[in-house]
Amino acid sequence: MKSKGFVMISIVGALCLGAGPGRGWGAEEKKISGEVSLTAQHLNLEGEKAKFNEYGDMQDGFYGDVNFQYERGNYYLDFRGSEIGRKTQGYELLGGKWGSFRYNFSYDQLPNNFTENARTFYSGVGGGSLTYPTHPPSTNFTTWNKFDYSLERKNYAGGLKFDLFKPFYFDVSVARETRKGVYPIGSAGTTPGGIALEIPSPIDYTTDSMKVEVGYNKNPLALSLSYNYSTFQNDHKSVYFRNPSTDNTASTTDNYTLPPDNDCYKFNFRGAVRLPWNSKFNANLAFSRAQSQANLFDSYTANVTAAASNIGVQGRTGVILNDYIFNGKVDTQSYHFTLTSNPLHFLDGKVFYRYYDYDNRSDPITTTDSTATPATFTTHPFSYQKQKAGAELGFRLPASFYLSGGYTYVQTKRDREDISKNQDDILNAELRWTGADFMLAKVGYERLHRRAEFESPQGLSPTDPKNIETYLRRYDAAAKDRDTYKAVLEFFPVQDLSFSFGYKRKNTDYKDTILGLQDDKRDEFTVDADYLILKRVRLFGYFDYEYVKRHQFQRQIPSPTTAYDPTLPPTATAFNWTSTQTERNYGYGLGMELYLIPKKLTLRLQNDYLKSDGYADYTYLLGTNPLPAGRSEDNIDISDWDDYRLQNYLVKVIYHMTPSISFIAGWAYAKYDYDDAQYDGYQYVPATTGSSGAYLTGAYQDPGYRAHVFFLSTGYKF
Amino acid sequence: MRKAIPVLSIVPVLLIFGGGLSPREARASNGIVGVEICMGCHEDHYKTYMISTHSKKGIPGSPANQAGCESCHGPGAAHVEKSGERGVGIFIFSKKIADAKSKSAKCLSCHGEGRDLAFWDMSRHKASDASCDNCHTIHSGTRKNLRAAQPDLCNICHRSIRMQQNRISHHPIREGKLKCTDCHDHHGGFGPKMVKANSLNELCYQCHAEKRGPYMWQHPPVEENCMNCHTAHGSNHAKLLQSKAPQLCQSCHDWTRHPGTIYTRFETFQGTATGSKNRMFARACLNCHSAIHGSNAPSLRGKTHVR
Repeated sequence: MKSKGFVMISIVGALCLGAGPGRGWGAEEKKISGEVSLTAQHLNLEGEKAKFNEYGDMQDGFYGDVNFQYERGNYYLDFRGSEIGRKTQGYELLGGKWGSFRYNFSYDQLPNNFTENARTFYSGVGGGSLTYPTHPPSTNFTTWNKFDYSLERKNYAGGLKFDLFKPFYFDVSVARETRKGVYPIGSAGTTPGGIALEIPSPIDYTTDSMKVEVGYNKNPLALSLSYNYSTFQNDHKSVYFRNPSTDNTASTTDNYTLPPDNDCYKFNFRGAVRLPWNSKFNANLAFSRAQSQANLFDSYTANVTAAASNIGVQGRTGVILNDYIFNGKVDTQSYHFTLTSNPLHFLDGKVFYRYYDYDNRSDPITTTDSTATPATFTTHPFSYQKQKAGAELGFRLPASFYLSGGYTYVQTKRDREDISKNQDDILNAELRWTGADFMLAKVGYERLHRRAEFESPQGLSPTDPKNIETYLRRYDAAAKDRDTYKAVLEFFPVQDLSFSFGYKRKNTDYKDTILGLQDDKRDEFTVDADYLILKRVRLFGYFDYEYVKRHQFQRQIPSPTTAYDPTLPPTATAFNWTSTQTERNYGYGLGMELYLIPKKLTLRLQNDYLKSDGYADYTYLLGTNPLPAGRSEDNIDISDWDDYRLQNYLVKVIYHMTPSISFIAGWAYAKYDYDDAQYDGYQYVPATTGSSGAYLTGAYQDPGYRAHVFFLSTGYKF
Repeated sequence: MRKAIPVLSIVPVLLIFGGGLSPREARASNGIVGVEICMGCHEDHYKTYMISTHSKKGIPGSPANQAGCESCHGPGAAHVEKSGERGVGIFIFSKKIADAKSKSAKCLSCHGEGRDLAFWDMSRHKASDASCDNCHTIHSGTRKNLRAAQPDLCNICHRSIRMQQNRISHHPIREGKLKCTDCHDHHGGFGPKMVKANSLNELCYQCHAEKRGPYMWQHPPVEENCMNCHTAHGSNHAKLLQSKAPQLCQSCHDWTRHPGTIYTRFETFQGTATGSKNRMFARACLNCHSAIHGSNAPSLRGKTHVR
């Protein structure tokens, strides 16, 4: 009776509610759905197009989007194409059979534009050989060749995942990325004290990668073994260029070495086993090897037989190497063990240990260069090891409090002359409260105490420049104390209304540093709000503010000198100085969505604003010595230090004429202003010789723009 | 939804009372009432469920092959008998009703053996009391059942990262060409900061393989950690640097002559200094020392990274 009644209900229910798509399908039922859209766009742009389209390709014209889903029984297929017809287009095909296998294929393009209409006196831009017809090159940059600094990435990828023999699985994936274009590099004309040369370097990279993984997942075990292989190829091992500093002839060229081909493989085992007391042991073991090989140059220039007067600087006609082929090899090993446990409902725990070894087995290369001091020197491949161990505990307390805390010890040993070892003690604690439906509160604190084993250079002559190392502490390894405070407050007073406030302070004190970065202070505030009014109007907004301050203490000394000690009384040529850089960053966004006709007609308005104000404050510590002529403690400072303002407006109307047909129309405006003392009054050739000399190409200069974008889009869903 | 209930609930009410069926007869002995009953009051949720992969009968073990809505929300009989008040007699993914652990347990009962969640227990998200429904809802009607697209979804909690992503030098995250999950293992992993690699450099080399080297002339802080100089999410300074050259470089390099020299407004293009300006204008140190990630150039030019 009960079963008959159940059947009757089901039948009646089905009849009342109707059968149709979406009710669940039989084995062979097909379902096709998707959407196509076409967008027309008009761009009105003033200013630097490259910066506006840094990762984009907005321009006049049309582009399309499509997505298509097909299902038949247990098989499915999903295809997406976005921005079809643009340099940012991407395509993805996913499919498979539920519970058996999945495949994916994708193609994606990403432009990276830096500067449009850069200029150079070189010809051959885009290739590996740059030259100019007569020496010296013209200083009239308006006669130079124009080109764009830009890169284009294309990524092709595919993969298969097999779950046919659950709990075993097998995954394989391959990818190829190509990157082509022109990128600015800088080179010294002569060293030291010479001009700077900005060179348009060719980029023609191909990176191929492959991953194979086999695994087993079934309680209580999860195991996997993977093999990764990646190979990088560069079609240009060097860029050859005629050097205006050294009066090269057209047949004698300088060279700049570019990234060598390399490859890397990695074996990685990962495992987890569930244990009693709600515990789990996790392990990760990995070994990798990265290799490269490069033919080394024994000369600064390509033609060593030409006369010394026109082939090199300071008579460096050649060097002697112990080996003219460099074999680079770096092995890494990584071991990571973590035990997590939730033995009691109010207690969470975790203990972990991690070891990472970076073993550089590259060839040490000994150079003999009679014009260098010392004349013979050998490279010292850099290696390091890092060990990390720690524990974390979390307690669920009464009244919806959750208290967590932990301690981590990190030890780093490295092959470096100055700081060969670091030991870090990291303590952290967080208190969270979720006792009210309408509120969430969180406060946290972390303390990092770093010790550094600093080794002062020994046995140096009094005038050896290396004496400065006695006082210098490089911030990446220097001893420091860092305190981080965080607080978050979220309110949900009524449904559809939320506010949040966040604050973070991070103070880093490089307490043992004499010369170098002394301290770094950061304060961050964030505010967010979101309100849906009667399901007809949605208001949203955010405000971000960050203040950053970094302070350095440095020493300026001539050569030769014995005045390395910063405590010595200052002279006109050997003195200390400080630099304090500050940044004030503001950002806000305000928006409104008006559901004029719910699910049919929507109006969206949005305004975003970003501003950054940087400042560099310098102080000469010259004592009674005067500042260099014309300078004062006030007029040496820089008030425009990566200053920018970015203003965006968006007005968009979305109209669903029918459930299948929709229209979108809108206008977007973007204005970007950039101000920086390093680019103000830009000169392509400030001078042709000396330490103020340079031949520049305009890379990154004047990136401001104003843009109006009008767009109209129509879409059809099926 | 509350407006819809009076209309839609007429149908099951008629079936139940007008059709001569009692509440006890409307449920199976295990308290399961069936998807059709749920749909009667929760049509919008039903529609989104039917769009999601959870409704596919072709997937072994899916809710469609079990108890539908009640696979996650539990038996609905008590909920129906108690007039269907929100959260009454039923499991809902709300912090008022359930804590993070019990919400995640619902999802992990099916997905716990998936390769993506094998290391969820050691993830920072789990330790921070995040639950699956913080990011996912099968009622979203979206791919992967996400509540929002990346990075907006992640920025709900990671607001300081949002601030950085908006900066003028950034990875193409806000352009939609790079997702948070391209670098981070959001479900848990072994990498530092939950990255999908055993070290930060190993992650960076996946897209920047030209920096992998190895090089004859190395720059040790580069080899150890890209984040010694760069910041991954966004910066006010070119190339995602933590601060500008020359200060960034001088904080480590102080030497005779130009590494230790003070460069001020006077050394810019518009400054009146008579020398040393090419260490300050444009790209400062990088005007000459461009090969800072490594070099294979000969002798001192390679050692000083000017070639």
